[in-house]
Amino acid sequence: MTLRPVPAWLEELELRFGAMLALPLAREGGSLEATPERYDPVLEREVRAGPRSPASARLAVYQRQYWFRLLTVMHAAYPLTTRLLGHWHFNELATRFLGAHPAQGHDLDAVPDGFDSFLAAATPGPVVVMTRPAVELDRDVLLDAARLDAAYRRVLRAPEVQHYRPNAADAERLLAGRLELSPAVALLTDTFGSWELRGRILDEPGEVPVRAPPRLAAARHGALVRSGLTLRLVPLEADEHELLCLLGEHSVGHALAALESSRSASERHDLPERARRWLARSVDLGLWSGFRA
Amino acid sequence: MEREPRREAVSGVMPGALPGDALGLGLRVPHYRELFESYPEVGYFEIISENFLGDAPNPRKQLARVKARYPVVLHGVGLNLLGPEPPDARYLERLCRLADEVDAPFVTDHLCWTGAGGRSHHDLLPVPFVPELVEIAAERADFVQRRLGRPFGLENVSSYLEFERSTLDEWDFVTRVVRDAGCYLLLDINNVYVSSQNHGFSPETYLDAIDYSRVLQVHLAGFTRSPDGTLIDTHDHPVAEAVWRLYERTWRDHGPFPTLLEWDDHVPPLGDELGELEKARARRG
Repeated sequence: MTLRPVPAWLEELELRFGAMLALPLAREGGSLEATPERYDPVLEREVRAGPRSPASARLAVYQRQYWFRLLTVMHAAYPLTTRLLGHWHFNELATRFLGAHPAQGHDLDAVPDGFDSFLAAATPGPVVVMTRPAVELDRDVLLDAARLDAAYRRVLRAPEVQHYRPNAADAERLLAGRLELSPAVALLTDTFGSWELRGRILDEPGEVPVRAPPRLAAARHGALVRSGLTLRLVPLEADEHELLCLLGEHSVGHALAALESSRSASERHDLPERARRWLARSVDLGLWSGFRA
Repeated sequence: MEREPRREAVSGVMPGALPGDALGLGLRVPHYRELFESYPEVGYFEIISENFLGDAPNPRKQLARVKARYPVVLHGVGLNLLGPEPPDARYLERLCRLADEVDAPFVTDHLCWTGAGGRSHHDLLPVPFVPELVEIAAERADFVQRRLGRPFGLENVSSYLEFERSTLDEWDFVTRVVRDAGCYLLLDINNVYVSSQNHGFSPETYLDAIDYSRVLQVHLAGFTRSPDGTLIDTHDHPVAEAVWRLYERTWRDHGPFPTLLEWDDHVPPLGDELGELEKARARRG
C-alpha cells in the first residue's frame, strides 16, 4: 500500500513552523525568552489570533516548549557538566549544539549524543561561569566532566551483550587477534574527583554552578561496567588502564608491544606478569564482548 | 468526497480487552521502586512506547516485571502521523515488536505532526482542520492499525493556536478521521478542556460530538496556567476541578470507558497518583 505525502501547502507550513521552533531563545534580558520579532510573517498569517493573545504569542508557546524540553533532556544527560557550568552557561552551549545537531528520529534520549565532542571543539579555553565573583572553569575539568556524563549515558543505553570468555582455540591466536570492548563498558580517567562529585550533585539539584574541586595530585583511572542492571566503577592501575585503551585500538600483540616499548628497562621487568594479570582481570570483569582472530 | 468508513479494519479484535471501568496509570521511572515493592491494585499501565524501543536492557526488564502483573497498553509520541512523509516503516516495525512483546490490548499515538524536513521537534504540533487532511490522516491511521494488527487509537492533542485555514471544528476533524480510518479514539478530556480555554469553544460541545463506541480510553492529567492565561498541558499537577466535572459528565452520559491518569513532571509518590485514581472512581458516582 502506497501512502500519500501530505499536500505541499502543509509541508511548507510545517517547515516554516519547524524553523520558528528552532530559533534560539533570546538571552539578553537575563532569562530565556521567545523571539516573536524574528518569526516568519508568512507563518504568522497562518495563525489565528486567540481570545487573549496575538498570533505571535501563540507561536511563542511552542518555541518556548521546544527549547525547554530539549534543554531539560540535555541537563538530564549531562548532569555533572550542567552543574559545573551552571544552567545559564550550559544552556548557551547546549543551544549552540542543538542548532548544529538538530534532533532527528523518534528517540528523545538520543538528542544529547555527541555533546561531549561538541564541547571539546567549542571550548578552546577556560569558561567564565560566574562574573561576580569571577569564577573560571578549567577546560580540562569541563571536558572530563562531559566525558564522564557521556560514558554513563553510553553504558546505560548499551544493549545487553554476552561477556567474552576465551576458549582454548582463542588462547593460541590471542596475540594476533583483537578484543572488542563491551558497549556496556567505558574506560575512564579522572583528574579532579569527578566521580564522587557526580554522585553528590545528582542528589543536590540546582541551577547555579558548583565549584570544581582542586585537581588531583595524580590522575586516576577506572572502568565503568554495567553487568545486567548493576553499574560498577572499578578502579584501575594507570598501566592497566593504558593497556586496556591500547587493546581497544590494536591487536593484543601490538597493544602489549606498544605498552612495553613506552616503558624503561626497569619498568619492563615485571610487565609481562602484570599484563597477564590485567588481561585475566579484564575478562573476569566482563570488559570484553568479543574477540576477532 | 468522503471516504467509506472502515469500521471493521481489524476484524475479530475489539477494544474490549480492558474492562470498561478500568483505572490505569502512566508508567514512569520514579514509580518503579514503590511499584515493585507493593504491586498496588491498578487496572492497567500505559507506557510511552518510545521509552522502550531502544536497546538498553533496563527499561525492557522493568517492563517485563510490570507486564507479569498488569495489562500494558502502548502510547506513542513519535509516529508523526501528519508529518510530510508517511509513518516510518522501521519505527512501525519496532512498535509492532513491542506491542507483541507486551501483548498490548491496544496502541495509541496522537493526531498531530512531530517533525518535518528530517528534523524531529519532539512536540505534538497542530494542523489545520480541513477535509483534505481528514483523508490523509485516516489513510495513514488505517495503515498503522493494519500494520499493528491490533486496535489503534488517536489522541486529540491540546493546542495553543488555531490555523486560519481550518474549516472544520476540532471535534469534527477528530471524529471524521477516526470514523474514516476505522480506528479508535483516545479521548483526552484534559486536552479538550485546555484547548477549549485557549481557543474559546465549549468543551461540552466537543465531548458531546464524540462517538463513544470508538473510545479506547480516556486520559486525565493536570495543566498549568501561564501568566498570560494560556493553559499549558504540562501533566505536572493534579487534575483540575473543571476537568473532573467534565469527566463526571462524560462518564454519566457516555461511560463506561477505561480511564488513565498521566503525570509526567514533578511526578509525585505512587500513592498520590493512586489517590487521584480513587477520585476518578468517586466521581463516577
